[in-house]
Formats: sequence, C-alpha cells, structure tokens
Amino acid sequence: MTTVGIIVNPNAGKDIRRLVTPATHTSDVTKVGIVRRAIVAAAESGATRILLMPDRHRLAERAADGLDLSGLDSSGARRDCVIEIVDEPLTGSRFDTIAAARRFWKEQVGAVIALGGDGTARDVALGWPDAPLIAISTGTNNVYPSAIDGTSAGAAAALVASGHVDIARVGRRSKRVTVRIDDVVLDGDEERHVSRDDLALVDLAFIDAQFVGARAVRDPSTVRAVVAAVATPASTGLSSIAGRVHPIDRWEDGGVLVRLGGGDGRRVRVPLAPGSFTTLDVAEVRPLALGENVEIVGKCVLAFDGERDVPVSERGRVNVRVDKSGPLLIDVEATLNIAARDRRFDAPSHSNTDGDHHGH
Amino acid sequence: MDLSVDVQLDLHRRMVRIRLFEEAAGRLAESNRLPGFLHLYVGEEAVAAGVCGALNDDDHITSTHRGHGHLVAKGGDFNRMMAELMGKATGYCKGKGGSMHISDTSLGMLGANGIVGAGSPIAVGAAFANRYRGRGQVAVAFFGDGSTNIGAFHEAANMACALHLPIVFACENNEYGEFTPRDKTMAITDIVDRAAGYGMPGVIVDGMDVIAVHEAAVEAVERARSGGGPSLIEAKTYRFYNHHGVQNLGLKYRSDDEVAMWKQRDPIFTLEDRMIENKAATRDQFDAIWAELRADIDTAIAFADESPYPTPDQIMVGVYTSMTGAQ
Amino acid sequence: MADERKLAYVMAFNEAVKQQMEADPNVFCAGEDIGAFGGVFGTFGGLQARFGADRVVDTPISEQAIVGLGVGAAVTGLRPIVDLMFMDFICVALDQIVNQAAKLKYMFGGDAVLPLTITTAGGGGLSAAAQHSQSLEALLCHIPGLKVVMPSNPYDMKGLMTACIQENNPTVMIKHKRLLGMTGHVPEESYSIPLGKGNILRPGKDVSIVAYARMANEALVAAEELAKDGIDCEIIDPRTLQPLDTDLIVSSVKKTNHAVVVHEAVRFGGLGGEIASQIQELAFDYLDAPVTRIGAPFSPVPFSPALEQHYIPNAKTIVQGVRDVMARV
Repeated sequence: MTTVGIIVNPNAGKDIRRLVTPATHTSDVTKVGIVRRAIVAAAESGATRILLMPDRHRLAERAADGLDLSGLDSSGARRDCVIEIVDEPLTGSRFDTIAAARRFWKEQVGAVIALGGDGTARDVALGWPDAPLIAISTGTNNVYPSAIDGTSAGAAAALVASGHVDIARVGRRSKRVTVRIDDVVLDGDEERHVSRDDLALVDLAFIDAQFVGARAVRDPSTVRAVVAAVATPASTGLSSIAGRVHPIDRWEDGGVLVRLGGGDGRRVRVPLAPGSFTTLDVAEVRPLALGENVEIVGKCVLAFDGERDVPVSERGRVNVRVDKSGPLLIDVEATLNIAARDRRFDAPSHSNTDGDHHGH
Repeated sequence: MDLSVDVQLDLHRRMVRIRLFEEAAGRLAESNRLPGFLHLYVGEEAVAAGVCGALNDDDHITSTHRGHGHLVAKGGDFNRMMAELMGKATGYCKGKGGSMHISDTSLGMLGANGIVGAGSPIAVGAAFANRYRGRGQVAVAFFGDGSTNIGAFHEAANMACALHLPIVFACENNEYGEFTPRDKTMAITDIVDRAAGYGMPGVIVDGMDVIAVHEAAVEAVERARSGGGPSLIEAKTYRFYNHHGVQNLGLKYRSDDEVAMWKQRDPIFTLEDRMIENKAATRDQFDAIWAELRADIDTAIAFADESPYPTPDQIMVGVYTSMTGAQ
Repeated sequence: MADERKLAYVMAFNEAVKQQMEADPNVFCAGEDIGAFGGVFGTFGGLQARFGADRVVDTPISEQAIVGLGVGAAVTGLRPIVDLMFMDFICVALDQIVNQAAKLKYMFGGDAVLPLTITTAGGGGLSAAAQHSQSLEALLCHIPGLKVVMPSNPYDMKGLMTACIQENNPTVMIKHKRLLGMTGHVPEESYSIPLGKGNILRPGKDVSIVAYARMANEALVAAEELAKDGIDCEIIDPRTLQPLDTDLIVSSVKKTNHAVVVHEAVRFGGLGGEIASQIQELAFDYLDAPVTRIGAPFSPVPFSPALEQHYIPNAKTIVQGVRDVMARV
C-alpha cells in the first residue's frame, strides 16, 4: 500500500499578521483547491490510499467531494486509490494538526503534504518529528514551507511514498530549535513544577509579555532574544531580526543566538511591519554549534516561529539548542526530475491499454 | 511595551460590567419585569470590551440587536440602560426604543439595531463624516456572522473600501444566525474569507480572549486612524444564552456539551486567572471589583423601578425635530 | 417682467445645492454618477468641479449603502444630500429609509438629529417602463419621521430644496423627470419655501383641484379649458406632501364646495385617498359632491408610448373629472 497523508490547517493565513505585516490572506476555497489537486496528482502517481486530516471547516470533505479514484482513468490506465478522512476528535485548534501528524505516523504514511505556515509545519513536527514532509506555504511568514503547487506536491508525495523515488535521494533532514521548559505554576494555592518539550522549525523568540493574546509579536521593543535555526534577511517580521544580523541557511550546520537591548553598540534596521522599519539594539550575537545548549531564565512569553505561544514565569528556565532532528524535507523538484528521467510519467502504449499507471 | 496592568484592568472592568448588566437583565426578564425581546450578550464580552477598549470617547460604533454589551463597553450608564429596558421615561431612549434600540449618541454609540445588517451602512456614514471633519475619529461596525449574508453588509463593506474610509468591521461570529447554525446558511467557515473580496485585510482572533481581541483592534483602529483604510476582525465567540431570552441548555439547535465547552473558555475568568498568574492582580482585588459593580447594578435596578413610565402625551414627541437648520 | 431671471427646474435644484454647499461646509452630496458626470439628469452638474471630490462623492451602485452613508453622516453631525437616481430605487434602500433614517430620532428618545436630504427622480412620461417611472410618494408619506417634497415648478424647486437641506429631519425631495427642462422665474439669491406650506397656483371659486408635481401643471392647462365653459378652478399645489398643508386645502374646499384630487400615482391607496378623506372629515358639510380622485389605473407603468399616454392622467382627464364633479351637483 502506498499511502500519502495530507494536512490542511484551516486557520493558517488568517491571523492578526494580515494587519501588521504584508501577509496575504489564504481563503478556504484556495486551500481546498490545492488539496484537491494534490489528491488527484497523488492517485495519478501511484498512491493507493490518501489520508486526510479532518478539520472543523470541512476542507478535507470539500476537497475530496465527488472524487472517484478507482477504475480506469482517461488514459485507460487502471488505478485503485481510496480516500479516507481519518477519524480523530476535533478541537478546532492546532491540536488537530498535531493529532493528524501523529496518526499518519501510526498509519505508516509514506509522505506527508502539509498546507499552512511555519506554525503548521511546527505542529506536524510535534506530532511526528521525523515526518517525510512536503510543506506548502499557505500561511504567513513561511520561512520553512515553500510555494509549491498542489499537483507537483501530490505527485512527488506519491512517488516517494511508493518508493519509485528513493527518499534517501530527495529527502533532507531539516534543523529545528529544540526547547525544554522547566517552570513553576500555581495550581490553586499549590505550586507545581512542570516541564515540557517543544520545538520551533525556524526560530524561538523570548518576548517581554504577559499574554499570548493575538499571537503575533507586534512590538519590536518587547523582543529580548531570538534563537534561530534558519535566519534569512529575505523575510519580514520576527524572523528578519536574526536574518539581518547573522543569516543562516536552512541546510547550514548550526544556529545563532541574538540578544537584543543595550550592548556593544551595534544597531540593526528590521522590517517588523509593512513599510516600516525599526531600529533594534543588538546586545549579543552568538553563533551556535549544532547541539550547543543555551539557557535563558526569567519571565517571558515564548514565541515559536513568530507566534507567541507559551508564557514562562520569573522562575522558569528555558533550555534551547539548534539540532538536526527536524522533519525529512522532500525536494519536490528533484523528485519529479528523477521520476521523469525514469519515465515514470509515460502513459501505457496503445497496444497495452490495461497496463498499470506508469507503464513499467 | 506590553499591555499595562491599567489597560488589563480596564478591559476586565468593561467585561464584568457587561456580564453583570446582562445577568441582571436576564433575571428581570425571567420574572417578567422587562417588556419585549431580550438578546443577551453573555459569553461575547471580550469582543465589545476588547474593541471599545481600543477606541477614543469620540469614536463611533454601530451595534446589533444584541447591543447592550456594546453600549456598556462604550461607557453606557447602568441607570439609564436599566430604565430603558423597563420602558421608563428616564431611560436612554425615554422608553421609545427599548433593548433593541438602546443608544447614546453622546458616547458615539449610534444605536443597537433591530434590523440585521443595518448598522454597517450607518457606520460607513459615520466613518465618512469622521474623515470629512478630519479630526482623526474612526467608526466601528459591530455585526454578527449572520448579517454577512444580507446585502447591506456587502454594500457597506464595498463602499467603505471604495472610499477608503476609517472604519473597522468587527464581526462577532457566534456560530449561529438566530437558531440556525452557520454552516447551514453559508458555504464558508470564516467570515474573513469575504474580506479580500472587498479589498481589505481580514483577521481571525479568539473572541474569548479579550487580550487577543484588543491587540487586533488596536492595530485595526490605528490603521483606520492613520489613513490605512478599512479592515475586518472576525472574533470567534459564543453566546452562552439562547438567541433571545435566558434559556441556555436543552435547546433544539445546539448541544449542551457545546455550551459547556465554550463556557470553559469564559472570557472573564480566563483573563482573571492569567492576571493572577502574572501577579498583575489578586483574587481579592477581583472580588472587590465584582462587589462594587454589583452594587451599581442594584442601584440601577432601584433607579429604574422608581422611575416613572412615560406619559401618553409623549407618543408624538421626538418624531420630528421641530427646528430647522442653523442658518 | 421681461428681464426677470429664468432658470430650468433642474438648474434651480442645482443652484439650491450649490448655494447651500457654499453657505455650510457640512453639506456634501453623494450618489451614483453625480461627480464628474454630474448626475444622469445633470442635476449635480458642475458641483464636483466647484467643490471637489470630497464633497461631491461618486458612490458604488449601492442604494442601501448610499442612504446608510447619509444616515450615519447625518447622525454624526454632517448635512448630507444623498441621491437615488430613480425613485423606483428607493425600494432597494427601504430599510435604511424607513427603518433607520425615519426612526432613529424617535427610537433614540429624540436625541438624534438627522439633517438628511434624499433626492430622487419620480414620475413617468419617458417610456422608461415600470421600474423607472413610478410615483411612490404615498409609500414615503406613510412613514412617521420623513418629510416628502414634490415641486411643480423651478421657483418652488429652488426654495423647497434649500429648505430640505436646511431641515433637521430626513426629507425626500422628488424631482419630476418630465419637469427637469421646465423654465420659470428663479431669483438668484438664496431663499427657502417652508416645508408643509402649500400654494394656491390659481385662485378660483367653483372647484378646488389639489394637484402636485407635473399634475399641477396639467391642472393649470385644464383650468384654462374649463374657464371657457365658465368653470372657475382653484388649484392648490401642496408642494410638501408630508407634512401636508391640510388647512389650505380645507379652506379652499369650504369656498368652492367641490374638490378633485389628482396624482400620477395609481389611484388605489394613493395620497389622493388621504387628501379626500381629510376633506370629508374636516369639510363634509361644505361639500356639494363627493371628492373625486384622478390617478393612474392599478397597473405597473407600461412602456409603449401608445399605452403610457393613456396611463398617466393629463389635462384632458382632469377636465373630464372636474366636469363629472360639477355635474353631480
């Protein structure tokens, strides 16, 4: 069985950052279109089972609506592909993405297509750390996912899942920021120690804030420090800080810690909002080797990949390192190139109309 | 700068005022002391409080049939509100409007509205006037998910964008248009999916989180005030009570489990817990706030009870303004 | 008065708007095609060039939002003039007109002031068919909170439009499409005609004809014809239909003892029924015959000139109506 899993985050591309950055809006209709193209292309390229993440917006149902992928296709090739929307309880939150990724892991999915932004890719990695992943950008900052058409993504996913293209040739292990939080919380009148592991795929920021609120980091002066696995100056928003101070390519070993505030006098201009640049004082720039641990203590809100998520108390300790344990990112173009050279896209010859999809 | 504790307490106070007013109104309705219809705002407090907390006193808002919360959040007076609900002469509308038309133009609150969708075009007019005068005022149109299916909303949204007016469209998506779930009445899930069609940004916020609503509102209001044009905020929220009246459980169109799930995310208690964790406030402090505002409600009920009903000769008063223009 | 200043009905409207915009910076206009184009009937011609696009605003084709724009701007302190191109289009905007503009003041306990003027063009006679020819004034007059004006000549147009703009209540100014080119004496200086005050267009002693807008002019023609037969008609033009100058009408009927009410709108449920009823309540003992109503038949306005000319009342039908009333004595 060749199984492709598709995750579509209905909430991606709609948060407050459309007011504070030049982020585009991605409508449900757009997402449904991408998923539908990915389904058809995956079936065309050898998937026999396509698992879809369920969601409150019923995007999966809408994408699969009316598709019958068994029987003969228009070229006369036989195919037999079932579409299943996995049965998971829904929360209407990011936990739906995490649960779907975990479920795909259990179902031995051969390749995952995830539609969303950096936050969605992070949630996939939380559910399935080693996921063989094609991350399609429909989100906001999108340093991690790329703009990939659904048709190409579906085809590449099926080619990898079926083994027609060896994942060892086209999959690369991405970096991540691995985070451990130790904190003390008030449970009624009782103090309780809590520890949790978390991760970011691009960067982790320490924000002087008390609330998660609308999630986006709006005020540059509240950013205390950033630990980045990927830092590109070709971005806006939070990820531009490390990017403009110390760029790090996604495949380069190591990361960077940037502390902000009064320091050695270096100042940097960053585009945190559309058409407006802010000057930040850089206190420290420290390249980090893979696996090198950094501990940051004190009250803050942690922003993962640009989104405020976890409040930490003044007694909290956050240990961070950049390592190479992120998802196995599939290179879609390389996959399709290999398949084309291997004649995987050739149709059956006229004399043999009931051959299988790929004519081998 | 993160939100100051003063702002947090201000948002909290606005929400508690709404909650207490609405719960009191519900109790009065149950004992048949309020004539007419009653659409309670309980559950949605974070939206009115978060948005109005981002406005100046001279900014304008238009409201809906579920409008008490908007007036309270804009600074409405409990006494005059309660008197209006009872149909008394001392009410905001002198007993001529009632729950569905409660308003205070001096606070920039241009009326609750009995017609679904009708407030948005009026907010566009207020936004036009605000830009015309050039004093930097903005207008906010509050509206529900259901009203985005009526023509007036589309005309208003398009006109606001065509004229690039200083306005914020604040959608309270409570998942139901009266007694029918949203997914039966529109093929989309997020109202913001409509915003791009008019040429404005639209963002979703957690409507049960007053901080989230407030942050988005601050951005949207600042955008409008500085000439950046209209935007749409969709707050995902929920009304704890029925479309009208005070029933909340055992309803035909929604499950009790669903109500319970949303109630766990009560916007007021969520904020209080977080502020206590942050050591921004104490439980005792909150208890004192509730007690103080409860006393205000008791005063308002007494005021309304003791107020006279309007006399029949008032029927014809206020149909027209008698004087003509200033010239 | 050979040298008296003459102006077309449409330009009398235009001049009133222009003078009020000059006098009061809070006055602005908004509507479809009224800016650079000057309005489909030229009613707003030249105003955008003079006052700029911020004060003479081209809007989308969105009648609800156009009136809503006026309501919201009026209640927050401006003095808007919003234009609905054809009277038929008020139906698209009825919620904003009927439920909002007319009622906000009352529902808000009298606090709200709405100095809003809605302008539109009514009446038939242009083969514009059933959706561009109606006379729906009775519908508006039925709504407490609105004032409704329908001038019959250029002089009244300027004075009444000036009054509408200065008025602190929502008014609907209905221009008659067939009168746009009518010329007459219009003083250059600004003046207003009080709303609710009718006008005796022609004094007479035998029969009172109550007619407004284009029908007032048809009644004048009819009166000349009837004068040849020795019937002396008094023509009352109420000018403002809400509030109606009932006193003027009743005092005329008390003198002539006969009344004919004429309008272009369909007879059934028209304003003529209200006027006839007022006359019978207030001057029953003075009537020598039942009040006659002349109006259009109960059908939509037909398209073909062959039909429309028989549909809309005219001087001939008014002559006949008056003769009938006089014959019943």
